[in-house]
Order: sequence, then C-alpha cells, then structure tokens
Amino acid sequence: MSGADHPEYDAVIIGAGISGLVCGNYLAKAGMKVLIAEQHHKPGGYCTSFTRRGFTFDAAAHSFGGYRENGILRKVFQDFSLDKNIPITRYDPSDILLTPEYRVCLWSDPEKTIEDLREPFPKEADKYREFVAFLMNPSLNSFARIRSWTFKDLLDHYFQNEALKSMLAFPIFGNGALPPSRMSAFIGAKIFIEFLLDGGYYPDGGMHVMSNALAERFQEYGGELLLSSPVQKIIVRNGNVSGVVINNTLIASRHVISNCDARQTFLNLVGKKHLPQEFLNKLNHMIPSLSMFVLYLGMDQAFPENAGSNIWYLPQYDLENMYRSAARRSHKNISEFMMRISPNGKCILAFIHAPYRNKPFWLNNREKFIESFIIHLTHIMPDIAQHILYKEAATPHTMHRYTLNYRGAAYGWESIHSQLADVDFRRPSFLHNLSLTGHWSTQGLGIPGVAYLGYDTASTLLKRRKTLPS
Amino acid sequence: MSENTIEAEIISIIADVSGFDPEEIKPESKLADDLEIDSIKAIEIVVALEKKYKISVRDDDVPKITTVHETTELVSRLLQQDNMIHVRS
Repeated sequence: MSGADHPEYDAVIIGAGISGLVCGNYLAKAGMKVLIAEQHHKPGGYCTSFTRRGFTFDAAAHSFGGYRENGILRKVFQDFSLDKNIPITRYDPSDILLTPEYRVCLWSDPEKTIEDLREPFPKEADKYREFVAFLMNPSLNSFARIRSWTFKDLLDHYFQNEALKSMLAFPIFGNGALPPSRMSAFIGAKIFIEFLLDGGYYPDGGMHVMSNALAERFQEYGGELLLSSPVQKIIVRNGNVSGVVINNTLIASRHVISNCDARQTFLNLVGKKHLPQEFLNKLNHMIPSLSMFVLYLGMDQAFPENAGSNIWYLPQYDLENMYRSAARRSHKNISEFMMRISPNGKCILAFIHAPYRNKPFWLNNREKFIESFIIHLTHIMPDIAQHILYKEAATPHTMHRYTLNYRGAAYGWESIHSQLADVDFRRPSFLHNLSLTGHWSTQGLGIPGVAYLGYDTASTLLKRRKTLPS
Repeated sequence: MSENTIEAEIISIIADVSGFDPEEIKPESKLADDLEIDSIKAIEIVVALEKKYKISVRDDDVPKITTVHETTELVSRLLQQDNMIHVRS
C-alpha cells in the first residue's frame, strides 16, 4: 500500500556508505521497514575494494579505528553480532612517520611510542604522554573547550619542536586534508584518537568485507537494499518530506535519511525552492575538503616489511605550504604521500591530496601522475619500479564517479572550525522527516566518525518515534 | 525576552540535538547523564545557541554548562550583556 497515510517504508536511506549501512542496521533491527538505495553496484562508498588480475585493492579507506573497548566500531560490530563473523587484525604500529631525518612509529601502546620519541626528541617524549592523556580523557567538556582552537594551537600547547609537530600533524593532514593552522582542534583531536591512538584495524580480506557484512546483516534484519538505483528526487510538501523517486517511481516513506553529498541532497534532490535563503547562502559558501589521487600497484613478489601499517612520508616540514601546493597539484609537485602495503605484501595503495580540476586535465595528466608518483615511492622502496605487475589509479573524478561526493571530496566539508557542527546539516529545521548522515552532515571523521553518525541518526530517530504516535 | 521563553526555546534546541522529546527535558536535566549529550552534541548545541541568539559563547564557559538550567542562565546573561552594550553605544 502506498500514499501519505500508509507509507510503504518507515525510512528510506539514500546511499549505502558506512553511515547509511550502520543507520539502516539499527533501524531495521528495531523493527522499522527500511530501504537503502545506492547508485553504485556495490555497497560501502569509499569503504570498498576491487579486484584486477588477481590483486584485491582497497578503493580508498584502507584501515579503520575506533575498535577499542567502548569504541564506536566495536559497539556497532557487537550490536549486530558481526564481531564473531569478521576477523579483524590490528597492525602495530598503525602508522609510521618518515622524514629524511627521522622515523617514528605510532604503536598501539603509547609508552612504546614515547620510547621511540626519546632519542630523536628527548625534551618532547614525555609531553606526548600528556597529549595522549588529554585526548583519551572522556570528559564531555574537555573537547568542547577547544572548540575554536586550531589543531596547531593544540600541538603548540604540548610541543615545541617544529619537526615533531609537523610529523604528528601530517597523518591529520592526510586523514583530514587540512594543515594544522586550518584544521579545527576538535576534529584534529578526534582524528588523532580514532585513527592513530586507536587505529590500524583491518578486516581480513579487505575493507569491502566490512561493508558487505553490514549490507548482509541489514537484509537479514529485513531491510531492503537496492543497488545501481540512484535516487532522483526527495518529495517535499509544505516543508514535510514524504518519500523519494527512484527509477521514476514514487516511494512513500515516513522518514528520509540522506547518506549522500549535502549539496546533492539539498540542491538536486530537495530543490532550491524548499530551502530558506539564509541556508542556501550558507550552503553555497561551504568549502568542501580536497580530493585525492590514489595509486594502486600489484607487485610480482610479496613485500612483507611494514605491511599493514600506514607509512607517511614527509620530505619537509612545512605543512602549510604542502596544503597550498596540494590545492594546485600537478605531476611535478608530488612530494609527501601515504603508502600502505596490503597484509599479504602484494598490493600497494598510495595517495596524495589533489584538486578536482576538470576532465581534460586528468585525461592528459593521469599517466604522468602515475609515473611521477612511482618515482617518489622509491624513497621508501628503492627498487619498486622493477616489481610492478599491475598499476591503476583513481583521480578525483573517479572518486566523484563512484560516490557522487561533490568535487570528489575525500572527507566531506573542510574541517575548519567555522564549518563545525551546524545542526541544519544533520536535521534541517525547515524540512521535517529529513535527516542527513555521513561526512557531509557534520565533518570528516573517517569510518569511526561516519559510523557514529549512522548510530546517532538512528537512535535519535528511534527516540522520537517512541514519543510520537506512528 | 523572559527567562521562561528562553528556557522553552533552549529545550527545543536540546530536544532537536539529543532526540529526546521536549516534555522529557527538565531544567534540572543533566546534559551528559540524562540527555546523552556527548562532545560533538555539546558543540552542536553551542553553535545552535550562537546562531539563534546571535551571541558568542566563550570557550571557557562551555565546560560550565552541565544542565539545561545552566544553559538558560548562560544565554540570559550573554543576552543581558549584549543589551547593556547596545544601551551604552
């Protein structure tokens, strides 16, 4: 039965990224009738993998965090009884910071990291303990207090050595696409906790294992998953959202939850005429995060050394300059990068931040980027070029094509503090029954962040439902 | 604006962020323990208050808000300060 009085679904979720899948699972498990519609032919968004010539590559996300006791991913896995089904390995050190002068490992045990820091940075090593103690302090307001700080302010508060500060900030730059002077301290701190202090986890077999397991469980809970099914429109009447259009068919739903790009949600699916002018102005001025260029290499033999760890190479310490040059990246200015060797030692994923540019730019430059990038990887693996059996790359346009993220943005909105936490991007006050979830609804916090948002979006909706007659 | 009006408006903002029904939110409700407000939501509330009342909450004041009543008091105080500045200028 369809129609406003008897909607077909309790909730339709647009997009099967991690946030949409987590949200869908909580709602379906609570007994709601839920549909997830995904435009791509597989679930996961940035958290998926592809196989070419026998090599399985993670597409973008290549490890995850937040799996400690009480971590959000641990909670999600336990709530859906996935912790027993999916073998998770934690690679230790989760991250290795390399410069021409230093090598620092971030171990799961911070005391071990402190020992590593003691020789190169004798005055700073113990400061790292204080820094970690602050980050792991669960008190509600310790973070709220640094709301208008930048991540640079936070690092300056604890450390003096500029080289060390840049090294600690570099994975935050990599996982948040902003240098410390622009990154909000709140988001920077969250990334440091969830990616570095509690990072390095990996589902055996590839990142897709997690997305597929969530998609399967969702269906076992009675949820319906439609793949290759882009949503064309969100139906709005008098400020009330009442369903979506998929494949030219109206699907009525009590709630619509968008796990896709906020611009797409508001401008294309809802439509400008339903948006207050003030919000429209804000939306038009919001800055997206940078995109990325990802290189995938299949090797002729296993390279087990440091396999599973995220290796961060920074040739110099000026992250501000690094950010400016990333925003106008050409194949001639590839220098810093992140590289990860797959646990079996045979696949390499490496990435740099890059601007969206236009199609002709990437058509003309894709190969040049690949070749130049491989030359730079020789800083870590000197004979890499002789061992490559297969090479592939994803440009910002590839990122956009598979996920429809605005300008191929890697992390949703740029994590500057002026863009932090506007509730209208999560539950727009002018559109009843619409929620947004995922990295466009607040800020880019990686897999733990979007999983949290999926959980929170679902529990908020379920709380409301309890108090409202259905 | 009376403190009662402000309280009702703030309860509505907190209801929106927390997912709790306005009826369930009392002046003495504790943000963290009773309303499940975590650090992200605390910031969402502060941002929403600043937007609605065109005030600016100092970072040091944020840890002082632990209940709905304290939130109302802080906003009333900031609005009064604002008025005084307007009167003077």
